[in-house]
Amino acid sequence: MNVVVTGLSQTSSAPPLKSSRISKEYLGGTFKALDDVSFELHENQITAFLGPSGCGKTTMLRIIAGLEYPTRGRLQVFGKNVDGPGPDRGMIFQAYTSFPWLTALQNVEYGMKILGVSAQERRERAMSFLKLVHLEKFSNSYPRSLSGGMKQRVALARTLAQNPAILLMDEPFGALDAQVRWEMQELMIELIEREKKTVVAITHDIEEAIYLADRIIFFSRQPGRIKADIPLTFKGGRRYKRKEELLELPGYAELERDLFAMMREEIR
Amino acid sequence: MLESTIVKSRVIPSISLAAASASMDDAPLYIPPKERFLEFRRQPSARRAGLLALIGALAFFGVWELGHYLTPVSARKFLPSIQEVGSALYVLFVERNFAHDVYISCWRIFISFVAAAGIGVPIGILMGSFGNIRALFNPTLTAWRYLPAASFIPLLLVWFGPTDQAKIALLFMGVIFFLISLVLDNTSAIQKEFVEAGLTMGASRFQILRGIVVPAALPAVFDSMRNMIAVSWTYLVIAEIVGAQDGIGAVMMRAGRFLSVDVIMAGILTIGALGVATDLVFRGICLMLFPWNAERRS
Repeated sequence: MNVVVTGLSQTSSAPPLKSSRISKEYLGGTFKALDDVSFELHENQITAFLGPSGCGKTTMLRIIAGLEYPTRGRLQVFGKNVDGPGPDRGMIFQAYTSFPWLTALQNVEYGMKILGVSAQERRERAMSFLKLVHLEKFSNSYPRSLSGGMKQRVALARTLAQNPAILLMDEPFGALDAQVRWEMQELMIELIEREKKTVVAITHDIEEAIYLADRIIFFSRQPGRIKADIPLTFKGGRRYKRKEELLELPGYAELERDLFAMMREEIR
Repeated sequence: MLESTIVKSRVIPSISLAAASASMDDAPLYIPPKERFLEFRRQPSARRAGLLALIGALAFFGVWELGHYLTPVSARKFLPSIQEVGSALYVLFVERNFAHDVYISCWRIFISFVAAAGIGVPIGILMGSFGNIRALFNPTLTAWRYLPAASFIPLLLVWFGPTDQAKIALLFMGVIFFLISLVLDNTSAIQKEFVEAGLTMGASRFQILRGIVVPAALPAVFDSMRNMIAVSWTYLVIAEIVGAQDGIGAVMMRAGRFLSVDVIMAGILTIGALGVATDLVFRGICLMLFPWNAERRS
């Protein structure tokens, strides 16, 4: 069977992330990107932020990352207030962020260098993470000679090698073509399963959200609010690496249809 | 790589596999349309490019030579032939120690440029990185950019007299303000996600500046420096007018007093050749320093 089991262990009492009444206002309150958004993430769960363009899901993710600040509300990681970016929340961007002046290996080492990991350990760990993303043969290549998907895998390895508690992904496969995107999604499922991460992934692709996530938080736009919080119960608490198996599950079609309807409602 | 094997093999009636074609040879050979000289954005091969460059240069010298012979004999000394300029250049080097003037000029360019880059590049990078530093300096520097360097000659003469310092200072002033604004642009143009990636990895501001901003901006900064050293060469003659004793510009100014157009033109050619050489050196340095940024040849 090609099925992996979702770990839903709740070890510490405080959730990995707790957003309490977060609002983000621009232009002195005349534009509300986020309006009173509250939710908790569960440990080792993949949560997808789904919603139309301009619904504030990216703003929410950037607030979690500490790259932007809310106007109101409070954000806590394992019970501690967030006051800026930090390596406990690793981020994968839509734009390619593997540094072009470093080789693939040096890129993966960079994050660990920041954390003060010794040169020896850094190298070994970087190499093992490059293996995980199937780039061990390209350890000495510069990003310039790598494809978009490979660059994104370098960035992924660099972030995972820092061992963040929470992995944030801002439409990480948005710039990739359909086939590479699909390969990356499968790799993602594999890696998250292995590394046991709490993940937030932004997407506006309904199919991607259903495939990757254990839970979908649907954002409505103007103002950005949580429209629906949907646990993907039809998967039966499991993650499926093969998309085609997912398609055969009862409940898949209904969920996809409902999400399309919600999306259509928003863009009207 | 990620491999995908078929989970369950089952018959899919709606999909039929195409039979492999028997042979490729019987398909007619495709004859592309004839290539014309003017094709949008098409790059010539290296050999063709070299040939075209040669034709372009020959055309220039041809027009020059033709101009010389079309000029009435009485005025021909104002537009000397290529041979006359060539022999003037020979005489300059062999009999008048022109190599010393060339050396002095190169040295002035070098010293003034090292000083301008040494001060301008760090300031430009800081201004491009931090909005407050930019706000602090930019309005003042913008005003400086509008002041022609030549307008400082009287001031520099009062301060330094007809010395080397005056000439180097002029070259320095001609370069630094533009260099700062170019480096500022180069730095603020780096992909903002590079800095954000550094922040989310927990890098300090200094680590981001040194490990991300500087390497990300450096190839473009070197390009700006290459462009600005060209500007520096264009200021050379103006700089060496000031109390002309030695240097290429001084030789040219002296020749002007005696209407020796062949010597003036020899000086112009020399500066042009040195400019091309500087450019090549800079390109070489860039290739050496930034192999990761090398243009991919197709």
